[in-house]
Amino acid sequence: MEITFLLNGETVRLTDPDPTQTLLDWLRTKNGLTGTKEGCNEGDCGACTVMVSEPGRITALNACILFLPQLHGRAIHTVEGIASPDGALHPVQQAMVNHHGSQCGFCTPGFVTSMAAAHQNGQTDHDDRLAGNLCRCTGYAPIIKAAKAAETEVRADWLDTPDFIFTEILRGGPEGTGAEPPTGPVCAPQTGDVLAAFYADNPDATLIAGATDVGLWVTKHLRDLPKIAFLNRCDDLKQIDETGDSLRVGAMVTIDRLYDAMQNRHPSFVEMLRRFASAQIRAAATIGGNIANGSPIGDTPPALIALGATLELRHRDTRRTLPLEDFFLDYGKQDRKPGEFVEAIRIPKQADHLKVYKLSKRFDQDISAVLGAFNITIEKGIVTNSRIAFGGMAGIPKRARHVEAALTGQPWAGATITKALPAFEQDFTPMSDMRASAGYRLSAAQNMLRRVWHEDQGTPANVLEVAP
Amino acid sequence: MALDEVKEIVESGENYDTDKEFKYVGTRPDRPDGLDKVTGRAKYGADHYVANMLHAAVLRAPHAHARIVSIDTSKAEAADGVKAVVIGTDLPEGLTGGDLHLQENTLARDKVYYDGHAVAAVAATSALAAKDAVKLIEVEYELLPHVIDVDAAMAEGAPVIREGEQGPTVPEGMHPNVVNYIEFGHGDLDAGFDAADLVMENTYKTEATHQGYIEPHACVGQLGDDGKGEMWVCTQGQWFIRKMCAAVLGLEASNLRVTPSEIGGGFGGKTTIFSEAISLALSRKAGGRPVKLVMTRSEVLRATGPTASTSMDVKIGMKNDGTMTAGKVVFRMQGGAWPDMAPTGMALNCAFASYDLPAVYHEGYDVLANRPKAAAYRAPGSPMAAFAVESLVDEMTRKLGLDPIEVRIKNGAKEGTKSSYGPTYKKIGLLECLEAAKAHPNLAEKLGPNQGRGVAAGFWFNHGGETSVSMSLGNDGTVTVSAGTPDIGGSRASVALMVAETLGIPYDHVRVNIVETGALGFNEPSHGSRATFATGKAAVEACNQAIGEMCRRAAKRWGIDEDAVEWKDGAVHPAGPNAGEFPPMTIKKIGQTMGRSGGPISGHHETTAGGVGESFGAHVVDVEVDPETGKTTILRYLVVQDAGRAIHPSYVEGQYQGGAAQGIGWALNEEYVYDDMGRLQNPIFLDYRVPVASDLPMIDTVIIEVPNPGHPYGVRGVGETGITPPLPAIANAIADATGRRLRHLPMTPAKVLKAIKNG
Repeated sequence: MEITFLLNGETVRLTDPDPTQTLLDWLRTKNGLTGTKEGCNEGDCGACTVMVSEPGRITALNACILFLPQLHGRAIHTVEGIASPDGALHPVQQAMVNHHGSQCGFCTPGFVTSMAAAHQNGQTDHDDRLAGNLCRCTGYAPIIKAAKAAETEVRADWLDTPDFIFTEILRGGPEGTGAEPPTGPVCAPQTGDVLAAFYADNPDATLIAGATDVGLWVTKHLRDLPKIAFLNRCDDLKQIDETGDSLRVGAMVTIDRLYDAMQNRHPSFVEMLRRFASAQIRAAATIGGNIANGSPIGDTPPALIALGATLELRHRDTRRTLPLEDFFLDYGKQDRKPGEFVEAIRIPKQADHLKVYKLSKRFDQDISAVLGAFNITIEKGIVTNSRIAFGGMAGIPKRARHVEAALTGQPWAGATITKALPAFEQDFTPMSDMRASAGYRLSAAQNMLRRVWHEDQGTPANVLEVAP
Repeated sequence: MALDEVKEIVESGENYDTDKEFKYVGTRPDRPDGLDKVTGRAKYGADHYVANMLHAAVLRAPHAHARIVSIDTSKAEAADGVKAVVIGTDLPEGLTGGDLHLQENTLARDKVYYDGHAVAAVAATSALAAKDAVKLIEVEYELLPHVIDVDAAMAEGAPVIREGEQGPTVPEGMHPNVVNYIEFGHGDLDAGFDAADLVMENTYKTEATHQGYIEPHACVGQLGDDGKGEMWVCTQGQWFIRKMCAAVLGLEASNLRVTPSEIGGGFGGKTTIFSEAISLALSRKAGGRPVKLVMTRSEVLRATGPTASTSMDVKIGMKNDGTMTAGKVVFRMQGGAWPDMAPTGMALNCAFASYDLPAVYHEGYDVLANRPKAAAYRAPGSPMAAFAVESLVDEMTRKLGLDPIEVRIKNGAKEGTKSSYGPTYKKIGLLECLEAAKAHPNLAEKLGPNQGRGVAAGFWFNHGGETSVSMSLGNDGTVTVSAGTPDIGGSRASVALMVAETLGIPYDHVRVNIVETGALGFNEPSHGSRATFATGKAAVEACNQAIGEMCRRAAKRWGIDEDAVEWKDGAVHPAGPNAGEFPPMTIKKIGQTMGRSGGPISGHHETTAGGVGESFGAHVVDVEVDPETGKTTILRYLVVQDAGRAIHPSYVEGQYQGGAAQGIGWALNEEYVYDDMGRLQNPIFLDYRVPVASDLPMIDTVIIEVPNPGHPYGVRGVGETGITPPLPAIANAIADATGRRLRHLPMTPAKVLKAIKNG
């Protein structure tokens, strides 16, 4: 495999790199670029954040869970490459010095790169952009002040990579049309077709999309992955297509792009997606990965189930669709044949009344204890349809069918809500773990239904309204 | 710290005139390491790469308490790339006391005492090879019953963790896990409670929390067969590393040269060793090749740091007008499976330190549990003590319908108060803090439904300690300072400001280096809020020594008496009417000519720094509690604290905000969670939840300056007091918002919701 990318403005070409070497490890051990730090090696602390550009898009990513083949065709800026070529500090660097944003300074490179990416994009919701960067010394106030002070400084044009450069670096890369079958056990197919053929022939291969989970298999659990397909070159899996009655979202669409796509459709879903992990993870993690992974606490499936989304699965040239809720069979078990992969998710268009609530101990960057999604249709005071789904309440993302049944056909009234509450115990037997006890989960889920009612009545009850 | 030590430190010390105008002290220049930190140039523990280096990985026990029946390392030794394997029995025998405990924690010998206890280690040619080889080590364990909770560990029938560790003061009949007992007090306690209109007592619990520094422990160690070695390491104290590694490995301290890296946070957790000695042991076995050892985050959380978990009884007497008549505490604290690290004594000393009480009594128990060997964490013991005492004071204040700030002013410690732990206070600033808090605009903010306000005071002794500093004059008149206290919060900037002030030269003509162990006399770590205080004080004295020498050189050159010159604004001037007319001899001129005037000019100072000034603070927090989820949101947070003198106000504010932020995490979110088998359930940052930006408001700060007469510029330490009040202040605010009193930290949404529902 050949990969080509830009590192701090210089072209790097690697032939058959160790496919599961992380960018962080490569920067530090092979390049002496030790400014990028390892604080946790699992995407939680942001000390390893680097700025990653591709045509039309600048993001901050965690280098500790980013494998070298994922860099292909992208431009990486580390903390060492953020300052202007003439030696002047980048505005966010200067602001961090001026506002005393470093104490111990170990987290500073990660903050600087996150802030530089946000600065390039004109993003000024600093609490949100920096939720993936932990600082233990400052209490964040001087850092937020620095970020605000830098807002008015001009964009750092030296960090922009013109499109023709991307074209140029890719031109030197692998020859061919991209439709040729891969030759080795580790490959980076350039289309869904090539991927489908490879995966059907190698059903024991690991598919790597954003690597926010698979990264940990390697770095933390030291698993060997003998066969891998990196999906980052499959541009056809990154499409978002609008059809008449639905939105078709390719499996490789990242969470931050899904956020954009949902922006004017389902604000409550969007608010939840804003709290999906951190900016770094949202820019890497994909919708396909969040579903195919099958986690009972993935944040997107309950909302998508409530919206009636269907999954498009592909095995070689055979495609099938199934309702998303039917994909999740049991804990760790999905309705997916060997060699079959998630190609896209189809989200029906509908008028917005979706309500999504994420409950976690911390507002940002936290795993949900309970995530509830409510898609309740009311006509003339009667509940005519309801689709309700939860994460964190069972071994899989699961519909609350008894609760739905207790609501549907009933008048939309406080008494109906109260009568429906016991149905939760028929739908769910949640477990106790350190995130929440079974009792807390159950009562929080019930409270979420009550919250839907209160919000509908105009009583302010949105969990986001009590956020700082 | 023993009580008599505390007394000695407080009662010794000079009386400096601190009432002066300053040119540099109190300004806010950029820190000297600011540029290095924003460009990635600053080199931390793991950033050191040397030729021929090996990488270490450590095998850790998955059991809370077990006997090691056998360890078979043969497969690991035969694995590709492996150059050395060490286990506990490879380390020298015959150690006793604290040295033995350090050694046992470095590598288990007979027993593992907690989940994560190191059992064996491998050095190999790559980090991956070392990690793979660790998996090939076979250990047979015989599981033993374990105990995690401090109260359970003292109870009859609890598994005995260690035999023969019980101290002589422990009352007869107590469980062997109780290893130390402390009691002290003064005044007539019974009379005090009799005089009260209201006497209340309650029990409080806090869970273990971790310092949570973002930089994992990392070092590169090299040790030859001749017992000579070197280490690069992230630490708060290079001489402690040297002393402890030498003890654990049976080396001569002077043969080990320890160089501190930049440090990525410590908060007390990097004042001791955890696996540093392993890298040296592996290096010696691998023929002297350097060995790098970098902990993973899980290793950091499982096997380093945390603070004690506690169970505390408090009883207080109060009159209807808020006058406090007596106070009694009984604290039970576990600091892991070794008897050294429960901060019970310090917690007791802090318990009533903010109050002027006629009668106080303290009792404390150090208890063993199957948890990692605790380390110091920012004001060790004080936050827990404050949680218990300040919660009860608040509860009583509410019951009597009094104002929480006024009650603290009424009873507050001041100059001349005999402190609860013995010494009589000199000038202190608690009342000034409380008055400033009362006057702050945050107090005028109206509270809405489900919102509440909480107040608490806090205290830390501060510390002087063993200190050695030298400074030298460059031939261009600039000055280099060699300091031994790693810079964890901006101390290079504050020391440079004090040196600039003392010498009368610009701040950027002073460079402060943190040096290796061979370059200075012994220095205690940067702990006890001592770096700016003690290193600063010694640096000032070192400068004064050099000033004396510069004055002598000028006098000699001018041919006048040594007493006839004076130092002013960076130059020697003739002094007095009979000294003669000479143009001032500047430090630059002296530097340029010192080779001809008698040789290099330097100054040094060694001391166990006395004159420590205590630091008090008052915090006020406003919260909103979501009645449906139990989630607490911090709306406003105010820190008021006495700095003595703020040398660099931005870094003083940084300490206040940082301490409060850690306290907020401790109060609301952070805790060590164990399963039934005694295994830590949350050893990653995703589950061990330290606050992120959106969890915190912009923390407001007010610096009070009641100068400490024991320091040339009036400095008190500022690092630690700030973590003390948040625990009770937030509990008090939640009580104000909900009418419910939470007495067990952390106050998670689930606990708050339960309290709201159950009443």
